Amino acid sequence: MDDLEFRRAALADPSTLDKSLLDAAANDPKKQEFLNDVRQLNSKMIRASKVAAPEGMAHRLLLRQSMENHRASRKRSHIIQLALAASIAFVFGISVTNWQYADGVSLSEHGIAHVLHEGDYALAASEDISMSQVNAKLARFGGEMTASTGRIYYANFCDFDKIKSLHLVMQGESGKVSVFIVPHDKAYVTDNVVEGKWNSQSFDLSKASLVVVSDIPSDVIKMKEKLAKSMQFSA
Amino acid sequence: MFSRKQSKPPSVSSDMANKQKRYEALVLGLHTDIFRYAYWLVKDKAIAEDIVQETFLRAWKSLDSLNDEKAAKSWLITILRRENARRFERKQFDLVDIDDVSVADDEQLSNEVEIEHRELRAIMASLSEEYREPLMLQIVFGYTGDEIADQLNLNKNTVMTRLFRARNQVKEALDKANDVRGRKNG
Repeated sequence: MDDLEFRRAALADPSTLDKSLLDAAANDPKKQEFLNDVRQLNSKMIRASKVAAPEGMAHRLLLRQSMENHRASRKRSHIIQLALAASIAFVFGISVTNWQYADGVSLSEHGIAHVLHEGDYALAASEDISMSQVNAKLARFGGEMTASTGRIYYANFCDFDKIKSLHLVMQGESGKVSVFIVPHDKAYVTDNVVEGKWNSQSFDLSKASLVVVSDIPSDVIKMKEKLAKSMQFSA
Repeated sequence: MFSRKQSKPPSVSSDMANKQKRYEALVLGLHTDIFRYAYWLVKDKAIAEDIVQETFLRAWKSLDSLNDEKAAKSWLITILRRENARRFERKQFDLVDIDDVSVADDEQLSNEVEIEHRELRAIMASLSEEYREPLMLQIVFGYTGDEIADQLNLNKNTVMTRLFRARNQVKEALDKANDVRGRKNG
């Protein structure tokens, strides 16, 4: 190991355990002296490098972390709160929609649904029911038919959206017309609805609503006019 | 949904307690050396503490990624070097020269030794960063040439050359100062 090489190695790593360097030092007093000097310098440098950490820094480090943690967990709980609020708003929204729907259920729409659901059960009936029979049933709602509107094939109480109503199947100008007499109970909305081939119109009388459903639009309109004149409800 | 929620917190909080313990061990075991290293990088106590704060905060956030406690030191050094680099991206600070700041020694020393240390510190601080950084890894952390090469992503020969030059510069500066003193005294 030449002198330059030795100096380089000693200065690069004074505490080296490299055998060739230690041997070179052992065999050459000048090299040994140089190595000793460098080692002494190094231990001074190590001591000089040991600046004191600011007082209480470890505590500040721990404190900062726990504050950060606290903030993070608060953020988490904010997210949970937000999610909760969103859920409540969501449920509230749905209930309001439902409630509005319940509040304003369409009579005509429900009339079509009823006819579709029943299928041919009532429409296929071919009885000939007298006006007095119909009036006996209408009396329950405080109503009366004062003039005939044509043949009545079917007259029975039915469940119209959970309300006991009178279901009639009457002869229209072209075909059979379904008529529902629904007592005022819920806040129904009277309207005109067309669904598929079905036409449905509804209107309010003093104590009940009438729903007229047929697959022939003109039959619906005419039956509606006839019924408006012939049906009377007493107080 | 609620039963699951109720059964979860104990394991989460025990994980948390475990993490907390690891973090405390990390802080208590290494904050002094990490601070010293930061100090020698930036040569300013207040900035060094800021960087150390950021370093440990980042360490806390990604503590789960530290699997080997033996690697903790070099992991922290890596984070610290990144934080220091980030500081320069944000803003170039006016660094206070080391001569202007009186840095307290870790131990009580005689006046003479203290003067000697101050002199050495000024010399070490005046080294360029490429020499100072590997030198401090060796002096503060007792890293070997291979470890320094790994940490700084340098080739080992480069590291050894820089270490040699660093110490050589310190030695020369010291010899020169002694010379001047000797001439004055003589």
